Parts: sequence; structure tokens; C-alpha cells
Amino acid sequence: MEASVLRAKNLTKRYRQGETWIEALKGFTYDFPPGVTAVVGPSGSGKTTLLNLLAGFDTPSEGEVHLAGHPLHALGEDERAGVRLAHAGFVFQSWNLLPTLTALENVAFPLLLKGVPRRERTERAQALLAEVGLERRAGHFPNQLSGGEQQRVAIARALALDPLVLFADEPTGNLDSAAGSRVLELLVRQAQGERRVVLVTHDPEVAARAERILRLKDGALVEIQERP
Amino acid sequence: METFLLVARNLKARPVRSLLTLLGIVVATASMVLFLSFGEGLRKALSAEMTKFGPQIRVVAEGTGTFGVPNPELGPEVLRTLKAHADELGIARLFPAAVMMKGSGFDPATTFLFYGLPEGITPKDLAPAAKVVAGRLDPHPDGAVVGKQKAEQSRLTLGKTLRLSRKIALPIVGIVDAGSGFANSFIFVPMEVVQRALNTTNYSVVLIYVKEGYAADEVAEKIEALIPGVDAQSTTEAVKYAERAIRIGDVIRFGISLIALVVGGLLVANTVMMSVYERIREFGVMRAIGARRGFIFRLVLLEALLLALSGGALGVAAGIAGSQVVNVYTTHAVGLALSAVTPRLVLFSLLVAVSLGLVAGVIPARVASRISVIEALGRI
Ligand SMILES: Nc1ncnc2c1ncn2[C@@H]1O[C@H](COP(=O)(O)OP(=O)(O)O)[C@@H](O)[C@H]1O
Ligand SMILES: [Mg+2]
Repeated sequence: MEASVLRAKNLTKRYRQGETWIEALKGFTYDFPPGVTAVVGPSGSGKTTLLNLLAGFDTPSEGEVHLAGHPLHALGEDERAGVRLAHAGFVFQSWNLLPTLTALENVAFPLLLKGVPRRERTERAQALLAEVGLERRAGHFPNQLSGGEQQRVAIARALALDPLVLFADEPTGNLDSAAGSRVLELLVRQAQGERRVVLVTHDPEVAARAERILRLKDGALVEIQERP
Repeated sequence: METFLLVARNLKARPVRSLLTLLGIVVATASMVLFLSFGEGLRKALSAEMTKFGPQIRVVAEGTGTFGVPNPELGPEVLRTLKAHADELGIARLFPAAVMMKGSGFDPATTFLFYGLPEGITPKDLAPAAKVVAGRLDPHPDGAVVGKQKAEQSRLTLGKTLRLSRKIALPIVGIVDAGSGFANSFIFVPMEVVQRALNTTNYSVVLIYVKEGYAADEVAEKIEALIPGVDAQSTTEAVKYAERAIRIGDVIRFGISLIALVVGGLLVANTVMMSVYERIREFGVMRAIGARRGFIFRLVLLEALLLALSGGALGVAAGIAGSQVVNVYTTHAVGLALSAVTPRLVLFSLLVAVSLGLVAGVIPARVASRISVIEALGRI
């Protein structure tokens, strides 16, 4: 059996709300196969909580997460950051880019963190921008780009260090349908080889592009739907 | 280097705020440099003065301040004893002088210091570098030779008459550049005239050149042991004394400038803290991508450091300019450039600026690096 890239076991997250505790995620267990996996569910069902735990932004109350062989639940902040840098890419709903950096510099940012020399950084960032069709926007700042263009720059940046997992939380939530479908197209296309794309959405049309759909309800995984 | 670029971008993104903060530090540093430049200027002037003053020891009556004007309280026996023991004490040459001060003593323009020199002694014996500017060097037998500084200050010219007392007056026969701030403020006259004006046969001071190979402060000690009631002040001792006084002044001046520095530091802390709160989401994105806490910490700290250091450098430059303006004034007023910005003062000021940046940056940097990723990502 091949080693799993992204695996969760009995993953549970409880938040304190005044006197009581609410379970935002209840015993989530799943081994993500290669390809696009959509996580769907109504608002408040625990989708973002799940993504936060899978990416190591937060630590679970119980259970385990393994990303690229690293036990994220057992690691400290900085160690998790290191694992993220090496193995994961992110596209959020909005406000993805660093406003004082150009599109090119944003894409090059993970390479900077990794310590890649400047020239190589620029070359690779340029190639990545070309891949998302924005080579002519390299010198623009985020506020000079449309919402769809910003998301595409974010995708280029997420791919900078060739991650095993690409996380996206409502990546098309703020876009009109034309821009949204272009961004979605681009994301889906990144699921090559061993790479997993985890796509959090409440939009059934977006989920329809995934190879499987995980349905959450009140923090519990209630359905796994494989698509042909 | 890369972090530096990120920081510069951020400062540039908020130009007005960054500039105002910078200005605050510039003013704080400049005032500190200017304040402390007085101590440095005094040190420089003092050591220059000491090399220009010929005699290494002055013997005065006990109770005279190190830089005070001595009263005519040395009897002729003091001079006789010194002459008799000159060889064994290590004295190469000695001569007495009588000094008299007229005027307020506060306003230099209306204060006249008459320095009475004995027959055969000229201002050159006091200040070896002395040069005649006009007239002659020797006040004897019945003239006054005015130090260059004094002449300019009180508008004294050749031929004018100077009055020592109601009955005694002397014509100005020479203007001399003694090359020294002190001696240039003297009016050299024959000693006998001063003694007559003071109605005494005493001396105010005996000036001594020490033999080669003898240490001035040791000779001075031996003189004091030999003659009761006198104070033998060596220039080395005077320098030490002055240095102590200057250092006390330094501490006070630094204390005053500290207020400005603290305000400058708070400005930096405030600016950096505000920019931290505005950029929480930005830091969240960086952390999500994989930046460690230390990266964020350095980013914020460097911002404070950059502000403090550039403000400090500009402040030092402004302080140097201010010091030159001050010197134009003090050179005119007292003949000494009282303000000096020495390399060590520059270094000290930059060091203070950097520490300021560090102190002002540490707390915001810590706050920024401690925010949890989800909390940071949650804010827009
Ligand atoms: N930091 C938090 N503190 C308290 N409750 C939280 C926190 N984050 C999420 N929750 C709660 O957990 C549940 C799941 O939230 P979330 O994961 O954001 O759902 P979704 O992304 O599916 O809309 C919600 O009831 C939400 O109110
Ligand atoms: Mg959500």
C-alpha cells in the first residue's frame, strides 16, 4: 500500500462558547486519495475547521493529522509552518496576496522563505505566472488586479514549491461565474500525479468538478460520494 | 536583505506616517548630538589650550579655584624659596605675575583681565606660539598688549587708553594672537603697574617651566610640601579636574536629551504597533504559506530598526550642522569652538538610536509573531 499524503484519524475540534463547548468537528477519519476532493456542507458544518486542522493552522482537540508523513497534531507552530512551506499550497476566498508586493513577488514569496536565490526565484515565478495566464501582469500590485486575477496569482503562488497538497477554501466565493469557472478550471488541472487538491465549498456546481465529495453536517462526515 | 526590501516596501506604503515618525527621531537624535557636542567641544578646547599654554605649573595662594583668577597673596618669600630650591625641585625656569580683574566677570565684553608680567617677560613666555598682530609684543615699560580675542570683543585698538584704577592708565601698544583662547582674552601689562593699582608688593601667581624628565604633577606636590599655604596647580591636574567637571555635565546633558529620546522611541513603537495591527491579516497569509514566527518577528523589528537608524543618521547630520552654527557663535563670543561632534559621539548617537529601535520594536514584533494563524486569517 502506498504511503498516504494526507490522512486524518478521529479528528475532533471543540470550541468553548461561554459555559458550554461546541464540537465543530467530530471524529473525522479519512485518507485523501490523489485527485480533487471536495468538502461540502451547509454554513457552520465545520468545513473551515477541518481545513484549518488538515493544514496545521490549528491543533485538534483529539485525533491525528498526517501531512506528507509529518504528524501535524504533535508538532509545534514553527514545525507545522515548515511542513506547510514544503508540502502544502493555499488559496483562500479572498485577501490572499501581500498588498505591498507585486504579482511576481507574491508568487516568489514561498521561494524566498525557502531560501531560493533571487534569480532563480524570479525565473520560476515568471514561469508560474505564465502558467496561470498572467505573465503580463507580473509587475502589478494586487489592488491593480481583478478578483479573478488575484485568485490566479494565488494559485501560481500555491504551486511555487510544487506541493503535495493544494488547499482551497471557497476559492470562487467572491467571483462572478466566468472568472470563477476559470479559477476552478485552473485548480482542478493541478491535481496531477501524487498531488491532492482539497476544495472546500458550499457550491454544488463547484463540487461537481471533484472526483469525490465529502459531505459534512454538524461537524460530522456523513457521506462520501465517489464520482465516475 | 530580502526582509529589508519587504520592510522598505511597507514603510513606503505609508509615506506620511513613516516620514513623521522619522522626523521625530531626527529631532530627538539631533538634540542629543548637539547637547553632548558641548562636552566634546570643551574637551577638545581644553587639550588644545593646555598645549598652547607654556608653563606646566602655576603656584597660587591656597583656596584659588583651578581655573580661578588668583588674588595677589604670594609674598616675595615664596618667590625666593622657589628660586633657592629650583634645581632640586626640577624647575627649569620661573617668573611671577600679578593679576587683576576689572568688570562684571559675567559679560566677557566688559570684563578686563590685566595680566602683569615682570620685566623681561613677554606674552611669548606664557604662550610660546604668541604672534604680534599689531604694534609690539612687549608691554614694558609702560604699555598694554591686548589679546586678539579681547581686542575684537571690546573694540580695543592701538593707541586707545586702558584704565586700571582712577590714577593709573596705559596706552595700548600691541595686539597679540597668543594662539590660545585663555591668553587671547588677557591684557598684558607690566607687573609693577598691576601691583601699584592693587597697592601691594605681592604676586598673584608664580609660573613654572619644569625641567625635562620631570613630571609636572610630582614637582607640584613637592612645591606644596615645601611651602605652606600655596597651591601648585599642574596642567595635567587641571585637565583631570576639568575632565571630571565635563563628565558631570555630560551626564546632565544626556539626561535632558533622554526625554527627547524617550519620546522618539514611543513614536517608533506607536508607528510600528499601528502597522502591526493593520497587517495582521498579512502576517496570517505569510504564516499560512509557511513563514515561521521568527520571520514575522524580524520583519517587524527591522521596521523599527530601520526607522530608528535612518532617523538617527539624519539626526546626527542635523546635529553636526547645528554644532557648526553654535561654534560660529561661541567662537565670536569667547574665542573657543565649544561644540564638537567627534567620531565617538557619532558612534554613540547611532548606538543610542539603534537601541531605541530595538527597544521600541521588540514589543510590536513579539505581538505580531504571537498571533495565531487562524486568528490572523480570520480578520480582513
Ligand atoms: N474560533 C471559534 N470559536 C468558537 N466557535 C467556532 C470557532 N470557529 C468556528 N466555530 C464554530 O464551529 C462551527 C463550524 O464552523 P466552520 O468550520 O467555520 O464552518 P463552515 O466553514 O462549514 O461554515 C460553527 O458553529 C462555528 O460557529
Ligand atoms: Mg467556512
